[in-house]
Amino acid sequence: MTIKSLNDGGDLFRWALILISALVLLFIVTPMASMILHTGLPELFETASDSAVQRSIGRTLAIAFISTTIFSFGAVPLAYLMARKRFPGKNLIQGIIDLPVVIPHTAAGIALLGFLSRDSAVGRAAEWAGISFVNNSTGIALAMAFVSLPFMINAARDGFAAVPERLEKAAMTLGASRIRVLFTITIPLAWRSIVSGFIMMFARGMSEFGSIVIIAYHPMTAPVMIFERFNAYGLRYARPMALLFLMVSLAVFVLLRVVSTGRRLKD
Amino acid sequence: MLEVINISKRLGMFRMESISFRVERGEYLVILGRSGSGKTQLLENLAGLTTPDSGTLIHNDEDITLMPAQKRDIGMVFQDFALFPHMTTYDNIAYPLRIRGETALKIEGGVKEIAGRMNISSLLKRKTETLSGGERQRAALARTVVTSPSLLLLDEPLASVDASLKDDIIRLLRSLNREGQTIIHVTHDYSEALALATRTGVLHNGRLIQIGTPSEVFDRPVNRFVARYTGIKNFFRVSFTNNASGWSATTSRGLKFIVDNNDYTSEGILVVRNGNVRLIEKDDGGAAEAMNIIEASVIDVIMTPAGREIELDAGETMVALVTAADRFAGTLKRGDPVTVGISPSDLIWLRNNN
Repeated sequence: MTIKSLNDGGDLFRWALILISALVLLFIVTPMASMILHTGLPELFETASDSAVQRSIGRTLAIAFISTTIFSFGAVPLAYLMARKRFPGKNLIQGIIDLPVVIPHTAAGIALLGFLSRDSAVGRAAEWAGISFVNNSTGIALAMAFVSLPFMINAARDGFAAVPERLEKAAMTLGASRIRVLFTITIPLAWRSIVSGFIMMFARGMSEFGSIVIIAYHPMTAPVMIFERFNAYGLRYARPMALLFLMVSLAVFVLLRVVSTGRRLKD
Repeated sequence: MLEVINISKRLGMFRMESISFRVERGEYLVILGRSGSGKTQLLENLAGLTTPDSGTLIHNDEDITLMPAQKRDIGMVFQDFALFPHMTTYDNIAYPLRIRGETALKIEGGVKEIAGRMNISSLLKRKTETLSGGERQRAALARTVVTSPSLLLLDEPLASVDASLKDDIIRLLRSLNREGQTIIHVTHDYSEALALATRTGVLHNGRLIQIGTPSEVFDRPVNRFVARYTGIKNFFRVSFTNNASGWSATTSRGLKFIVDNNDYTSEGILVVRNGNVRLIEKDDGGAAEAMNIIEASVIDVIMTPAGREIELDAGETMVALVTAADRFAGTLKRGDPVTVGISPSDLIWLRNNN
């Protein structure tokens, strides 16, 4: 809808709409702008050259990426199932998928900790195998996956649902087996949604704080480090790191978008 | 070749019931039906995209009722063509060859050969979204026949094609059939059956209500639905009486027809093909045979591809089809008095009233 087409509703309506929209956008932009304005370049450079900060941001990106990649292998088939199959209890399963979005993330952290700590059966088994979840990258990865999986599953599900079943049927009459149809027709056509779900999951995992702070305060991810600096030294000291992490996140986000759409344009 | 035995399928509110027919090698079967009659459903059962609840499918002496679609050797062209939007025309046509693991050389040869026959050689590099309706139809046909399936199923192949290109596609389908391709084609348009079919059937509410050669179905429709379906517009509800001079039929408005002898019931429906309602000079009717001579006046003249349809008031409303070669063509206008001749042998009695 263009602004012009709103003219029929009268000028007052149009201006009210523009004003309200502008206020909402201002609300999003202002805190960021303020953070940028209140952070001096020297402070920013100093933070960026702090090796603890570098490690923390690198760790956050790496764990989020690995966690997203590994869990995609489970999320994509589940998304396909949700898009294509009808079965009893499907609504319940959709509810379970959406659960991590609606529960408080600290509560998610407590739940995960209870499940994965050394006192639990899973934790003991893992320890026996030489894996520890608490205060460990593995625990961070699991916490990230737990809270961000719905974004991947739902985006991929919508992508699969948008692939016309007729195309799959046509491929079958042309001799393709179901698995072949999946890889030559369904996944290529849903690819954009899958990638976009991947990016959303990655971004969400990267920014997770609530559950990670409970399951693994150390090694510190960037959000935890920002929190710690704020807690120990105050706003002025936390702000450069916050800005730095925000810039890195945005850069990665934009890069992934460009890579995924660039691939599409070349086709 | 293909034998369909008593196939039934329930799908929500819709039921396809006890469909049986045979298709021999080299035949071109056109199945007519309105939207919702179960045409697509029937094809999907034949193609293996759904399985019937009961009944049997025999294809080349093999029971294929439960065989998965990809093993059936039955090709299907979908109504909206179902071309793969993420591939070029070339890749679409190459798809079934790649599935079969053909060599790159064979694939290229196969695609180029069929593209040449379908007249789409210049379109191979284009994405299918950029093709016109007729081009898409050719690409979809090429993709399906490139592997020479033993049976070809066509779902409304002319519905999404511009009227000006229909003839091209019809010629293409005829030539495919002439080369031995067995085809089952479903459509809502009886003119496609006239142009293409060696046999034709009529599907209504999930039942195959008549099947036979086009002349059997068109000249002897079993009921009102089939008759309407084959383009007949003249329906008369009549009562039959028999006297010394033979049988006659009278409509509720008093229009009387002489009819050929038959074992009529007391009431029924008579139909006449539009082309058999003939406009004649007042005094040349009935020379050779007992002819029904009826005075009428013109209500309207409608141009159609087949000729002019003259809507007439003869006590009952009737429609005559006048071709360009007819001496009355072009001269008639609303209100003109005309004389109509209908031969008793052209009056078709529908035994089944529904």
